[in-house]
Amino acid sequence: MIIDANAWLGHWPFRQLRHNDVPGLLGLMDANAIDMAVVSSIHGIFYKNCQRANEELAEAVKGHRDRLIPFAVLNPNYPGWQRNLRLCREHLDFRGLRLFPAYHDYTLTDASSLEMIGAATEMGMPVSLPMRVVDVRQRHWMDTERNLTVPEIEAVVKACPDTSFIILNALGLESSSVFAGNREGGRQVVTDLSRMTAVMGNNIGAVIDAYGAESIVFGTGIPFKYPRPALLKVEVLQADEAQKEKILSGNLRRILSL
Amino acid sequence: MRLDAHSHVRIKDGRLDVDHCHSLIDAGDRLSIDQMWCSCPASQGMPEPDQIRLGNDVVIEAMRLYPDRIRGQCFVVPGWYRESLAEIDRCLGEGMIGIKLYNQYFINDPAVFPVIEKAIEEGIPVLDHAGHLMDAPTRLSQPRISDGVHFADLARRYPEATLIMGHIGGGGDYEWSLQALADAPTVFADTSGSVIDEGMIEYAVRLLGAKRLLFACDLSEEAGVGKILGADITEAQRQAIFWDNAQTILARRRAR
Repeated sequence: MIIDANAWLGHWPFRQLRHNDVPGLLGLMDANAIDMAVVSSIHGIFYKNCQRANEELAEAVKGHRDRLIPFAVLNPNYPGWQRNLRLCREHLDFRGLRLFPAYHDYTLTDASSLEMIGAATEMGMPVSLPMRVVDVRQRHWMDTERNLTVPEIEAVVKACPDTSFIILNALGLESSSVFAGNREGGRQVVTDLSRMTAVMGNNIGAVIDAYGAESIVFGTGIPFKYPRPALLKVEVLQADEAQKEKILSGNLRRILSL
Repeated sequence: MRLDAHSHVRIKDGRLDVDHCHSLIDAGDRLSIDQMWCSCPASQGMPEPDQIRLGNDVVIEAMRLYPDRIRGQCFVVPGWYRESLAEIDRCLGEGMIGIKLYNQYFINDPAVFPVIEKAIEEGIPVLDHAGHLMDAPTRLSQPRISDGVHFADLARRYPEATLIMGHIGGGGDYEWSLQALADAPTVFADTSGSVIDEGMIEYAVRLLGAKRLLFACDLSEEAGVGKILGADITEAQRQAIFWDNAQTILARRRAR
């Protein structure tokens, strides 16, 4: 079984995406033997009122909840996030939260951000942090140049000791402290492998050696990215089948209680 | 068969970084990459001829270590034009198959013309580090990096040259460069780099044609292979990109 931690629906304003509606995304998943995917609305990054994007997403994935696991996008500085987070969790059955400080103009350790992360944690929702959405070297001139940094991730992980974090599009975490607090039966901090490698520098292997295969999850970035490179990484990774099973689905099944 | 048209070996303590070279070959073994075109350019500043020669010596060492897997590209800085022409002769004599330029000059700078004319004379390709960079820090760090517009301009002056625009997946706005190259039919583009935007290969095939694309990784090995395997193109197009187009380029070389 393969679960993708890093999938998206909707339009990106600066580049044409394909396979970016539900039939298209499911088709891309089928073509690559991906069984389930955690999805957020790209529109939630750009709408001032993110909740409208969450409502769009809930409608889009209706009837496909066996394969698409929605994560909400919310801005902790926008009025009503407390009510909307509860609506997403309790009425729309969203399973987690994805945050975009670079686009919503805050820092992860701001008081409002920590308050929202704490509220999500109390509702049993892991928090997903994309370190970037696209490569800033090819950004549109109206797009942000800001990526999340490893110190920012370390700081919020330290400040929220009970929160499970799913870090996406990450680089440089292998030499960070973010996985150090993982404990059996407790909160989990994991990174997807979409920007990591299983050869040469082999930072996937480095994380496994230091913190166990429990710290890595499968993620592609579809439909922004081709899914095949992520699949190749697992194929060529020098790890046993039990470790690969954790990466491909086991870790996310545990974190999301699937 | 797969030929990576854009790869690198490294210097360590004034010699070939052998461990890095072994790991490059190991990655090739695990991802079915049969051959790699390698260079060792100075990626910052304006290097002196001694530094340039050291990088090429390291490539020659790698070619001797893995003669069936690694073929060399001779790095030069065209401003040292007499030294560059001599270095190209030396490197071709050692069995290298092409020229590698980095970001010291725009490729259509007249300072580069003697190197291009030498490449035409020898029938060898010129691969240039390229990109249309959109974020200020990276752009400011590489003020003379070439993009598709520079290549198209040079190709109009030298239509007989075999020019390869490096890494459409190297991080810049590849759609900008592909648009610029669409009407420059003699320029190839390599597909290397960490960027694996869904649809990028199909778009490159649409604008340039599969016969003008070269598979490459530039040390992003799974990304390099995965984007070609994942692209919605025909098997004949995939074969052309993975191997055949590079063979067409190699066949242009003048006998020495």
